[in-house]
Amino acid sequence: MAVAAAHLGQVDQHDHIHPEPTSFIGKYIFSLDAKVIGIQYMITGLLFFIISGLLAEVVRIQLLRPEGGFVSNDTYNGVYSLHASGMIWMTIIPLMTGGFGNFVMPLMIGARDVAFPWLNLISFWIFPPAGVILFSSFLVGAPDAGWTEYPPVSVQGPPGTSLWCVAIFLIGISSTMTGLNFMVTIMKMRAPGMTFTRMPLFVWAQLATALLNMVATVALSAALAALFIERTFGVPFYDPGRGGSPILWQHMFWFYSHPAVYIMILPAFGFISEIFPTFARKPIFGYKMIAFSSIAIALLGFMVWAHHMFTSGMAPWLQLPFMILTMVISVPTGIKIFSWLATLWGGKIEFHPAMLFALGFVVVFTFGGITGIFLSAVPVDLHLHGTYFIPAHIHYVLFGGSIFGLFAAIYYWWPKITGRLMDERLGVWHFWSTFVSFNATFLPMHFLGIMGMPRRVAQYRPEFQFWNDVCSIASFVLAASTLIFLYAMFSSLTRGKKAPPNPWNARTLEWQISSPPPYYNFKTIPAVLKNPYDFGEPLPYLGLDPSDKEDHRQAKPPGGAPPEPAHA
Amino acid sequence: MAVSALNASHEAVHARYESVDPLYREVRDIRLLGFVLFLISDVVLFSMFIFAYLYLRNSVPNWPPITTAGQLPRFDVAFACINSCVLFGSGATMHAAMESWKHLNKPAFNLWMLATIVLGIGFLSGQAYEYQHVPVTWTGSTMGASFFTLTGMHGFHVFIGVIYLITLYIQANRGVYTGSKYFGLTAGTLYWHFVDVIWVALFYLFYLM
Repeated sequence: MAVAAAHLGQVDQHDHIHPEPTSFIGKYIFSLDAKVIGIQYMITGLLFFIISGLLAEVVRIQLLRPEGGFVSNDTYNGVYSLHASGMIWMTIIPLMTGGFGNFVMPLMIGARDVAFPWLNLISFWIFPPAGVILFSSFLVGAPDAGWTEYPPVSVQGPPGTSLWCVAIFLIGISSTMTGLNFMVTIMKMRAPGMTFTRMPLFVWAQLATALLNMVATVALSAALAALFIERTFGVPFYDPGRGGSPILWQHMFWFYSHPAVYIMILPAFGFISEIFPTFARKPIFGYKMIAFSSIAIALLGFMVWAHHMFTSGMAPWLQLPFMILTMVISVPTGIKIFSWLATLWGGKIEFHPAMLFALGFVVVFTFGGITGIFLSAVPVDLHLHGTYFIPAHIHYVLFGGSIFGLFAAIYYWWPKITGRLMDERLGVWHFWSTFVSFNATFLPMHFLGIMGMPRRVAQYRPEFQFWNDVCSIASFVLAASTLIFLYAMFSSLTRGKKAPPNPWNARTLEWQISSPPPYYNFKTIPAVLKNPYDFGEPLPYLGLDPSDKEDHRQAKPPGGAPPEPAHA
Repeated sequence: MAVSALNASHEAVHARYESVDPLYREVRDIRLLGFVLFLISDVVLFSMFIFAYLYLRNSVPNWPPITTAGQLPRFDVAFACINSCVLFGSGATMHAAMESWKHLNKPAFNLWMLATIVLGIGFLSGQAYEYQHVPVTWTGSTMGASFFTLTGMHGFHVFIGVIYLITLYIQANRGVYTGSKYFGLTAGTLYWHFVDVIWVALFYLFYLM
């Protein structure tokens, strides 16, 4: 404690690693500030979320009738390929890491910015062009082999497949840079006294995600580069007719894409670990187990990729180890879920929309996790592979997991980001309409899969029509419930009440300063004495400057100088 | 002055490195970790293509695949050995340059640095010569695809490295770095050794295996 206190007062706001910009462009467009970059990620990601969501509705309209006919078969192939690519690479991953990672993580560890602000700026500005390139592939013939783009179909696919390669390569580079940046930030820039076991659990989740982003995403870049040069210059890697191997793509692709599902879910685990203690008013149960299980998931995530390939004709002796490892990975996930339930046990639970989405997350993610265990068993997988059971499972873990987590995070950190409160009634409506229509949309897909309906088809046999219609109609309700969410954000921005610094009485560092936070985050870097979850005890921070809590939005002269007291 | 600098002990070097002002030390440590992580992600990139090469190699009954002329492709191992020695030699001269800098011997640093740059360019020229004489083509077979993609990626890294070293040479002579603040040089050395180590793997995979 004495050591930690000795660091206090050494830095003041003028030591911010880059001065506050004054021009519009420097402030809002090419800003070096992680908070602004985080908001830029969120806005761009939400835009791509809406586009990808509309593509999903096109799929559901097509499947209303067995003979389809809403769009042509080729367009349909492009629509579902880009729906998945857009949701995974342009929405969930950027929002989870780039968005909330940038805005919340530096505040939580008591840093003024990330380690490499310029790298952060570059990695954001790769993202919008990548999205534009991805969706513009419709103009030249969209990729038609699904988001996994298995060769040889993708080698022969329409020109848009090359654009797809470029777009995903760019977003991969961006993810790698963000991962590297966050890793260094978390390892080196924590406030004095914040040891690893005093970090908030969201920061632990970001650390594990950064590791995956940094290592696994490069594997995807390599696979994409090979596919691109094969398509463009005719270099044989994947084409079996020329000595290449399509299975090679599957190995390289899934060596990234299986860790990628943890890139998409670990930050959500972090959101839940922050939201549960705050709204149950209880210390988190099993802090260390939750923290270490994130790392365990990240490491095990590298060893299970071939469970996507049980039917691909890979060596049979590989099936058993991959099946067992896949089942093992549910152990750290189970540890988290039981720790969260124990956190709720006996707590004084407040049903704020953020908490509702967090509770919804646990329900549907657990369900999706259990169907994941089904699929990890080789005999079951042989039957269900390539059927609608797979989209059902992936939507339970990606929509019910990642997107519910993101909704929870948006409701939770919205006052901190915008400085305004959201209408909680709208949030509750949004939650219940989303929760009901989500289950009505994706639960029947399990039945369709077991009945034998293949995925990625534009027409189907008439006996599947009933459940397809249920899915489609529920998906329209799901889209409509997202409109409630958009309206809630809009109304909060235009006429929401101003938020106090700490509306939920949360204990992590970002809530101890004003909403939105000042440019330099902390005037003096606080010292940290404990992990932030001991509800009922005094805050474990020393040396926070009380003026950081003041609302700095009023009467601020241009140039960023603090307001002068009026002298006589 | 020069003599005393030459005789400066390793302890003095170490003390100078550690006694630099705390703010610079913090920034240096942050950048060092960032740079090492960048190199690790680069290792993953090479590993994936090496994995692809080994996978393709093991997925066919006969390796190497016969060329369009109907012959087994044979690489010129002797030439590759010489070229490899040029690159490994540049690693040694780079190390000498860095040690000279730490011991405040600027003339020796300049000399070793120039030697490294020349050897780097020499390796690239050797590779350019080899590319015109290897019995495989980039698009002709999976062997050519792996060979040209991997060695091409490596060559590109060497090319970037040469530009990097030239920049460092100019910066060092303009007084950007001092006897205790020289993170840029450390990063350049790490990068150059990394390029060397990758070549060890590629040399074994393509010429000896």
